[in-house]
Amino acid sequence: MRLTGTKVIEVEALSRRYGSRLAVNEISFRVEPGEIVGFLGPNGAGKTTTLRMLTGYLAPTSGTIRIDGIDAVKNSIRARERLGYMPEGVPLYREMRVYEYLRHRGALKAVPNIAEAMDRSLDLAGVADARTRIVGQLSKGYRQRVGLAEALIADPPILILDEPTSGLDPNQVRHFREVVRSFSGKKTVLLSSHILSEVEAVCDRVIIIREGQKVADLAPGDTETSLEDIFAELTTAGSPEGAS
Amino acid sequence: MKGAWVVLKRELGAFFVSPLAYVVLTSWLIWNGVVFWVLTEFYSRNAVSSGASTPLSGFFGGSALFFIPLLVFVPVLTMRLVAGEKQSGTIETLLTAPVSEASVIFGKYGASLVMWCVLWIPTIIYAWIISQHGSVDWGATAASYFGIFCLGAYFMAIGLLMSVVAPTQIIAAVLSFVALGVLFTVGIGEFVLDGTAREVCAYLSMWGHMQSFSKGVVDTRYLVFDFSVAVLAVGLSVGALKARKIG
Repeated sequence: MRLTGTKVIEVEALSRRYGSRLAVNEISFRVEPGEIVGFLGPNGAGKTTTLRMLTGYLAPTSGTIRIDGIDAVKNSIRARERLGYMPEGVPLYREMRVYEYLRHRGALKAVPNIAEAMDRSLDLAGVADARTRIVGQLSKGYRQRVGLAEALIADPPILILDEPTSGLDPNQVRHFREVVRSFSGKKTVLLSSHILSEVEAVCDRVIIIREGQKVADLAPGDTETSLEDIFAELTTAGSPEGAS
Repeated sequence: MKGAWVVLKRELGAFFVSPLAYVVLTSWLIWNGVVFWVLTEFYSRNAVSSGASTPLSGFFGGSALFFIPLLVFVPVLTMRLVAGEKQSGTIETLLTAPVSEASVIFGKYGASLVMWCVLWIPTIIYAWIISQHGSVDWGATAASYFGIFCLGAYFMAIGLLMSVVAPTQIIAAVLSFVALGVLFTVGIGEFVLDGTAREVCAYLSMWGHMQSFSKGVVDTRYLVFDFSVAVLAVGLSVGALKARKIG
């Protein structure tokens, strides 16, 4: 699937309220085609809520989202066709075998040649050797890879990954980084994380949020200060408004 | 609607690889086997003057023994449909796939109807056993199964709705049990109340419903009721699944 929009993800004044609590407050950002963008913030900053709105799992309280030029609130299904999403914790049907799960998800996403798509995504996610194993019996690292293979099954132009490396060992993290880096220029990736080294190693650009507001949008190489210092400064002191 | 078919297949696959399916099916057949034996024994010892009452009509809704297990088995079958996905977190991957909420609900509902039929199909053997030792009114038996299917259509829809609104499977099961228990009890009002209240209770009565069908009488009033409740509950399930996004 090819990208058609000039900006692949466009978010304008996006807000989300849970009762009286404002979890996401007027966030705006754009992601260019082929870019790998990190979505950084301390726990509870609103990362997952924002990604869930982008993927159509939650409706925004206000604001607009355009995925590859499609209004993701009004045309949620069409927008979702262009996304591969790996939610936090990688929920999977544990009773299925890996290939059964991918075949099911491929059918749900109306993938034309599922067998071929399955081979490609299993290879890309580095999980081809586990294709006949039962998902519930896999290690966390393997389950994470199955989640990535699932996100890739329909060959979507956009990948949204929520905390993709949480709970992985260093070798698995390295493998994951290599896979994501290989998408550079080919797929647009938005990944959330609170692991700074990971974002620094993988992402072209970083968006930092705190208490539901965007406080920075920068490229790791742009500044001489380390990302760790910037992150600490932006997310621990002062008011979010004054920090961007 | 292709999405609904994919959801249906996965739901049935998940059910039939789980131990729950076999525990439910075995317990169900043990219960009904005992009920059938007791009823047959009763009818063979007591000369029943009314020609309309037979072991089979007794089995298909002629006694409370028909309804009591349903109040338990239906919630057990439907509790996991959506609440199970919420508990495991897979609801997030399901609802972010390019399928509508209606497709998800139709798929789950279709799967629950198949499970309902799977429960009942083995009981055809009881009719065969009777046919080996006496006569069977196959028309009334067919009407009984048709009545059971229609009853299942609304039972399963209520169970599905409870599974959509409940946060966990246990709560879904309790809610379905209470909803079906209330409907069952209201039906008993037919024998207790008078006037309009009696007529309303008779219309809602699952007891009256099955007694009519088990005698071979296909009463369209009951069909309209079954169909209306099923459509309402499935429609509310779609609405509740959509409302979850803004909750």
